[in-house]
Amino acid sequence: MRRLLIALVVGLAGMAGAHAQGPRAEPPPSGLPGPPPSVPAESATPDLVVDLSRARVSITSAFQGESILMFGMFDPPGEVVVVVVGPEARETVMRKERFLGLWLNTGRQSFDDVPAYYAIAASQPLQRLLARGAGGEILSLEDRMSTVKPVGSRAAAEMAKFRSGLVEVKRREGLYPAAIGQVTVQAGRLFRVDLPFPSRLPEGVYEVKAYLLRDGKIVAAVSRPLPVGKVGFSAQLAGWASHDGALYGLGAIVMALFAGWLGGAIMRRL
Amino acid sequence: MEIYLPIAEQSMNVFVLLGLGAAAGLLAGMFGVGGGFLATPLLIFVGIPPAVAVASQANQVIANSVSSLQVHWRRGNVDLRMGLVLLIGGMIGSSAGVVLFTYLKRIGQIDFVIAVLYVVMLSTIGLLMLAESLSTYLKRRRNPEAPRGKLHTHYLVHRLPLKLRFYKSKLYISALLPVGLGFVIGILSAILGVGGGFVLVPAMIYLLGMPTAVVIGTSNFQILFVAANVTFLQATTNGTVDVVLALLLILGGVVGAPIGSRLAAKLPGVVLRGLMSVLILAVAAELLTELLRTPVSPFSLGTREVAP
Repeated sequence: MRRLLIALVVGLAGMAGAHAQGPRAEPPPSGLPGPPPSVPAESATPDLVVDLSRARVSITSAFQGESILMFGMFDPPGEVVVVVVGPEARETVMRKERFLGLWLNTGRQSFDDVPAYYAIAASQPLQRLLARGAGGEILSLEDRMSTVKPVGSRAAAEMAKFRSGLVEVKRREGLYPAAIGQVTVQAGRLFRVDLPFPSRLPEGVYEVKAYLLRDGKIVAAVSRPLPVGKVGFSAQLAGWASHDGALYGLGAIVMALFAGWLGGAIMRRL
Repeated sequence: MEIYLPIAEQSMNVFVLLGLGAAAGLLAGMFGVGGGFLATPLLIFVGIPPAVAVASQANQVIANSVSSLQVHWRRGNVDLRMGLVLLIGGMIGSSAGVVLFTYLKRIGQIDFVIAVLYVVMLSTIGLLMLAESLSTYLKRRRNPEAPRGKLHTHYLVHRLPLKLRFYKSKLYISALLPVGLGFVIGILSAILGVGGGFVLVPAMIYLLGMPTAVVIGTSNFQILFVAANVTFLQATTNGTVDVVLALLLILGGVVGAPIGSRLAAKLPGVVLRGLMSVLILAVAAELLTELLRTPVSPFSLGTREVAP
């Protein structure tokens, strides 16, 4: 009986997973920019050509967030939509409640496959572009968030609160920009869009995807991987801290001993 | 000028951090205790995650106690035996503290516990100091030649087993008391990122009855090793020690400490303690309002877990 139940649960989970993966028509991008995968595989002359102003977002010691420019050209007529998705991970939302007059975390809910970052930009108001629900794989933030899988179960109304709490926090951190970005089109065929990234930016390979729409239907799509990572000194320190905590800890101690000793010695001479 | 903190994973103004370090150093110089108990809440106020603030502050405490220990060691103001006995408790306490810290972090209550402990601790110390300095001030005004009271009193300390002779402190007391004291300070050190001097120093004077001359040196001796232990354990278990943050605080402290000790030489002790108690109470009040005030949003995020 128990085994049967487990099998059933596993099966259901698998189905749920398949459903969530549904709208994604193609495998996630690998580390290298491969040939642009276009949704309706067709002609040798692409309808849509794009590039990024930078190949990667480098988190250096002076990093304060960054704006990356995506630009390109398309065969008119058409409208352009750009979607940026950060790497997926499990996020835990915590909710504070008043307890004996003090605010403390009383509830928590984890969600799987939550994108670290999610932004959409379009050359026309998105609702109009996707009016007939023909956007296919282009998901608004709300639609995307409705597919994140909660870990465990809870009453639907409560779950919805946690789900909107998740969006709220991400939005506050600038990771889910609230407004739809503006894709500017020039001469009917050149486009450009600024993609803003905040200073507290999770690392990983992001995906920047541009779509060309005609009559609410996707006629071409180009995807570019955008690696986000610490580089230089801060990368070394962070890597050191996570791979070899003991050595990092010893290093921190030695640094403090030396700095304290030196500081004391200098200040007594003055 | 902004700098990216690799472990806190956010950028922060360099001068804010240097200033914080200097303020803590100023206090350290003025009162001979580390400024950690003020620096950690201030770091939290400026938006550093509490877990990172606490662990990095422990790293800063090492530097602080080293430079203070240098002076006191040379003057022979360290009771090594007492320091080692305190350290036995301190090592056990701080290790247990980091385990507790890790557990609280996992269940998502660490920020709350840090805030509550700070409120309780700071308001207790602040009120005690305020009362003490007010009463001294009033007494002095009435009778400037007031007797200084007994050298030390005999009570529980002298009846516990495992008595040890501490020559430098001129004490013959049970070792259990300093071990227990070290244990409590160790836990505080691990959870709050403080050296614990502001609790340890009064406890050594009033509870153990140590002569004031050796108190600062000896407390710094124990704090140095306990802070090193906390730094190491936080780095290995929680990975929350941000050396860039710690280094900026240390640099600020190096500048602040001598200014503090010069100020301390100019102002009378009663005034100093009065000022300090007001400052401590202000921080406690701010932390308490944070706990009582309805938050902008009841939601927050825990650690992101990338699937293996």
